[in-house]
Amino acid sequence: MSLSATIQPLLSVNDLHWSVANKAILKQISFAIRSGEIVGIIGPNGAGKTSLLRCILQYITDYQGSIYFNTSNINTLSRQFIAQHIAVVNQINDPVFKLTVIDVIRMGLLPYKTFFASVTKEDTQTIAQALEKTGLTHLQHEEFTHLSGGEQQRALIARALVQKADLLILDEPTNHLDVYYQHQILQLVKSLNLTVLMTIHDLNLANEYCSRLMLLDQGKIIADGDNETVLQANQLTTVFGLPCQHLTEPTTGLKKVYFTALNANRVSCDET
Amino acid sequence: MKHNIFTMTSLTIVLFSLSLVSIALALSFGAANISPSQLLQCLVNQCDSALTETIVWQIRIPRILVGFAAGAGLASAGAILQNTTRNPLADPYLFGIVSGAGLGATIASIVFAENLTFSLPFAAFLGALFAISLVFLLAKYVQRIEQLLLAGVAISFMLGAVTQFMLYIGDPLASNRVLFWLMGSLANVEMSQFYLIFSVVSGAIIIILAFHQHIDALALGDENAMSLGVNVNKLRLLMLALCAAITAVIVAYCGGIAFVGLMIPHIVRHYIGSSTFKLIIGASFIGGCFLIWVDVIARSAITNLELPIGIITSIIGSVFFLLIMIQGNRSHG
Repeated sequence: MSLSATIQPLLSVNDLHWSVANKAILKQISFAIRSGEIVGIIGPNGAGKTSLLRCILQYITDYQGSIYFNTSNINTLSRQFIAQHIAVVNQINDPVFKLTVIDVIRMGLLPYKTFFASVTKEDTQTIAQALEKTGLTHLQHEEFTHLSGGEQQRALIARALVQKADLLILDEPTNHLDVYYQHQILQLVKSLNLTVLMTIHDLNLANEYCSRLMLLDQGKIIADGDNETVLQANQLTTVFGLPCQHLTEPTTGLKKVYFTALNANRVSCDET
Repeated sequence: MKHNIFTMTSLTIVLFSLSLVSIALALSFGAANISPSQLLQCLVNQCDSALTETIVWQIRIPRILVGFAAGAGLASAGAILQNTTRNPLADPYLFGIVSGAGLGATIASIVFAENLTFSLPFAAFLGALFAISLVFLLAKYVQRIEQLLLAGVAISFMLGAVTQFMLYIGDPLASNRVLFWLMGSLANVEMSQFYLIFSVVSGAIIIILAFHQHIDALALGDENAMSLGVNVNKLRLLMLALCAAITAVIVAYCGGIAFVGLMIPHIVRHYIGSSTFKLIIGASFIGGCFLIWVDVIARSAITNLELPIGIITSIIGSVFFLLIMIQGNRSHG
């Protein structure tokens, strides 16, 4: 990692506002991400987590404020350039037609290919490495829709690796996955040594795998910083509307966030 | 991917050979009895009589070649429309192209009743362009791709209604002509038409193949394709324009030939593959061969009577879909 890379943010969002039909969805959002960080965006449903990602990815363009990738305003960059630098693992949208796993992974070459360009020896090696890293070599000729949810996520991560991007964005990567696959996917993401920005619902997983968290509520950043600061119990109680406690797991010593069921009388926050 | 390149190359060789065999065999079918040796002589050397020469070079060869080009074009247009709209039931006819062509043909039949040889295909082509222009205009106001399909269906019904009204109040003879034309036929095609249809179809297929990876990226959703650098709206409009050009030129000369664009891509996806490159290569050759043989049935099934080709494709297509449905239910049941 060069010195400049550590100083210059890879991505910076400055005073971002976005509204739909006069309803503000995102308000005064400002933050910067530096190379090597794994940043988790947490918050309740409707907080604006996915909308924020969609603005960064330029799916939404009618926002106010600015988003910079390195030193360039992202809205001045071509789609192809963005695709060469930012890879995305969206929530899975099943293809209507049968595509094999390797068909899906090969799509990662698209930002670099001109018309009729064939797959080179180097491309084949890149794809093989991505398959190996994600443990999908034996499934490469399977139909994508025949894979389990976790395997599909791994295939999309493999595609992101083929894209050779600097920043990996994941939208709820652990949605619909069982506990085993949740950890498997996040361990894989962590092992890639990439800069990562992801939205994630499970606060304990976020705490375990992210190096920094951002708490969003009603379109605003409520907290942004190290995990302990962001996951303060009173803050989470206010945002999620449920009594929250921190418990320490005896075996690992990891602090766990624990919410109790909503009662008629709200329990005040208590840290243990 | 050496393995894939080899598979695609061998697949293309097999399909190309199959097409050549189909063309050669189809030449020997027809009302006149021409032996294989007469045919061979006519093709490589000189025909044994002026009549044989006329039949082979001016009737059968243009008809078979137009059949192949039209089948290839309709199947490719259907395939690409299905892949770009992510809708397995999309078909060029859904976008009002045939209804527009039908309206053009109706107007020509009523206005230029005397000289229809040139005016009918030309008016049909203009009608098809008019219909697709309406769809394009509406596309600006459309948020989701399903709405574009619905807009196409609405335009199709609207133009169909205008056509029916004109036929209702117009000359019964003109109605007959338009109805027969709408059923589709390769009976009156010429080599010049083959050159035109072939140029449009092959040009469009080359452009589609250039974008094959972009179209594949659409399979997982619009945002997924955008994240891979694809300009989704421009790509979709370009593909729609190519499908419109292919269908308009075919419909203008061959009339309404339904179901080819729907049925052939399904077969290709099942037996060859769903990625755009395989699909287009497969649909072109198999669609071409299919229409050659449907035309053979059209001209030889009943002695001294030529069946409209669109009727045969509709019968085969509807039975095919019922069989797929029953098979699908069985495998799920």
